[in-house]
Amino acid sequence: MTIAAPAIVVDDLHVSRAGSPVLHGVSFEVPAGSVYALLGGNGAGKSTTLLTLLGFLQPSGGSARVLEHNVAADTAAVRQSVAYLPEAATLYPHLSAYENLDYFLDLAGAGVDQGAVDATLDRVALQAEARGRRMETYSKGMRQKVAIALALLRDTPVLLLDEPTSGLDPVAIDEFNALVRSLSDEGRTVLMVTHDVYGACQVADRIGLLRRGRMVGTFDAPEGARIDTETVHSAFTGRSAA
Amino acid sequence: MIRELRFLLRDRAAMLWIALAFILSATAVTLGLAEVRQQQAELAEIDRLDRADRAQVLSEQSDWGGAAYSTFHLTSDPPSDFAFAALGQRDVSPWKHRIRMLALEGQIYETDATNPDFALTGRFDFAFVAALIAPLLLILLLFDLRSGERAAGRLELIEASGAGAKRVWRTRTILRVGGLAVALILPLWIGGAVAGTSVFTLLAAALAVTLYLAFWAWLSRTAGSAAHTGSVNLTILLGLWLLICAVIPAMLTQAIDGAVPLPDGGDIVLTQREAVNDAWDLPKDATMSAFLDRHPEWEAQSGIDRPFEWKWYYAFQQVGDQTVEPLSRAYREGRAERDRLVGFASLVSPATALQRGLERLAETDVRASLAYEARVRDYHARLRAWHYPNLFEDRDFSVKDADGLPAFDSGDAT
Ligand SMILES: Nc1ncnc2c1ncn2[C@@H]1O[C@H](COP(=O)(O)OP(=O)(O)OP(=O)(O)O)[C@@H](O)[C@H]1O
Ligand SMILES: [Mg+2]
Repeated sequence: MTIAAPAIVVDDLHVSRAGSPVLHGVSFEVPAGSVYALLGGNGAGKSTTLLTLLGFLQPSGGSARVLEHNVAADTAAVRQSVAYLPEAATLYPHLSAYENLDYFLDLAGAGVDQGAVDATLDRVALQAEARGRRMETYSKGMRQKVAIALALLRDTPVLLLDEPTSGLDPVAIDEFNALVRSLSDEGRTVLMVTHDVYGACQVADRIGLLRRGRMVGTFDAPEGARIDTETVHSAFTGRSAA
Repeated sequence: MIRELRFLLRDRAAMLWIALAFILSATAVTLGLAEVRQQQAELAEIDRLDRADRAQVLSEQSDWGGAAYSTFHLTSDPPSDFAFAALGQRDVSPWKHRIRMLALEGQIYETDATNPDFALTGRFDFAFVAALIAPLLLILLLFDLRSGERAAGRLELIEASGAGAKRVWRTRTILRVGGLAVALILPLWIGGAVAGTSVFTLLAAALAVTLYLAFWAWLSRTAGSAAHTGSVNLTILLGLWLLICAVIPAMLTQAIDGAVPLPDGGDIVLTQREAVNDAWDLPKDATMSAFLDRHPEWEAQSGIDRPFEWKWYYAFQQVGDQTVEPLSRAYREGRAERDRLVGFASLVSPATALQRGLERLAETDVRASLAYEARVRDYHARLRAWHYPNLFEDRDFSVKDADGLPAFDSGDAT
């Protein structure tokens, strides 16, 4: 694995929400062009980490940088270069997938051409006949696919994805994992939050294990291989590996 | 902007409120036009009857005293070409009086005594819709702008969208306020075209409404927050609406009415009636000397030799007016003073300010009402000035000379 300059640097990050500390000095780095999976149980602070990287939450200590921009001070520059998939991404239900993508991409100042939109919707395997329909008629997974497509179409160097595979069926998850690998091959940096140990091991170059606001383990993919699922699973569940 | 416009057009709830604004405004304008047309028709009809009646009565007279006694004269304050938008005082103060040469003040305030203030909440006219209902619709359009996106989990997605996100809220607000303004103003302008309102008046009214909506948009932005849930925002804003559109104006009105007490219109009528009735039993000299205080020019002709003489009769009518003069002046000055205070109060009560502004444009405010009263007094004074020579010089009655009777100039062709 080549050593690239880190696209994301999180250094001793402390964040409180509603007065109580949530992150207690979290540090990690995401090399440019790599896939980093942030793994952890409910309430571990994964979403909080992403929201802080986007400047929605202010660190009470430590710092975080995305592409050299300090997330607290230079929020606009960070948001410009990052595509974000929120945890419970809901696009406008009264608009179709096409209209939603058109709206949000225009909002982001990204030029859209219909060919690219269709190609990306193909990539996330959204049925062609559904694309012009109001999204309120979509299933959960279909909605998630459109949200993923939106993040891809932003065409930013960095993607922050909060539980991108939630709601997806196993086939779609496999396809998504392949998609994330290809993003990395294109040189884009992906930081994704997930509970899915297996999926994380499939796609990530590095996995960070977060527990109650602290980074309790880091797993790197060996050269030319994937991270071992068993090892991560034991660490995640707290049982020692067999 | 285009993007947000298309977005707004697809927002069914927003379009519903804007459509409702249009319907309410159109209804208010239509009702206003109908009311004005009704008042004009009524005036035209009364005017016709008034002329016919006067001609008839005059033809039956044998002396000037009887003629002055029996002939009525219509005075009126016809609605302006913008009155349809803000009926204002036309609902509470009289806009027509048929008067005759008798003591005047009683004739002016008689209507007041039988005309209680029924317009406590105001009539459903354009001014009412713009000042009281429009803010409510604006609140419904804006309260959930950000909190709704947050509840739907889109707030971060929108705000993380980079370049355009910063302007999103401003653009959405402007488009909603603009859409509401157009929905309100369009029917007003159409009504104005029908009524022949001047372009200046229509533009001024549109500006006033737009500024008022801008104030409410600012308030919604300031008081509402994305950090609250939509229902909290809605509660806060509805509270402010109640405060600004109902509680504050009511409190100000009460404070002003308390600070500036008005004599009762009925008191003026009664006092004058008593003064006139008592005059029958008073020594004629007492009446005549009080009369001569104002009209020394008739000194030489003021001797009353017979038990009844018209000049004495009209002298005590005039003295009756003189008796209630302080009351009547206090009443007028009180109304003017209250109006002046309401003017100050409207600096802190935007709903009052808008309503006042529109009534000013429509000439249906207290000033216009007082001005009409002044014109009636003026006209009555001209009637007296015209009749006194006939009475004091004991001229012979002639129907032909009666053509020279002064006519009331309503200042507007109905
Ligand atoms: N809006 C909020 N206000 C206050 N505290 C919050 C808020 N959201 C989350 N928290 C707290 O912050 C901590 C971390 O939450 P976070 O959402 O980052 O967890 P997570 O790792 O993303 O969990 P999950 O897997 O369930 O999504 C939790 O203890 C939670 O109670
Ligand atoms: Mg989360």
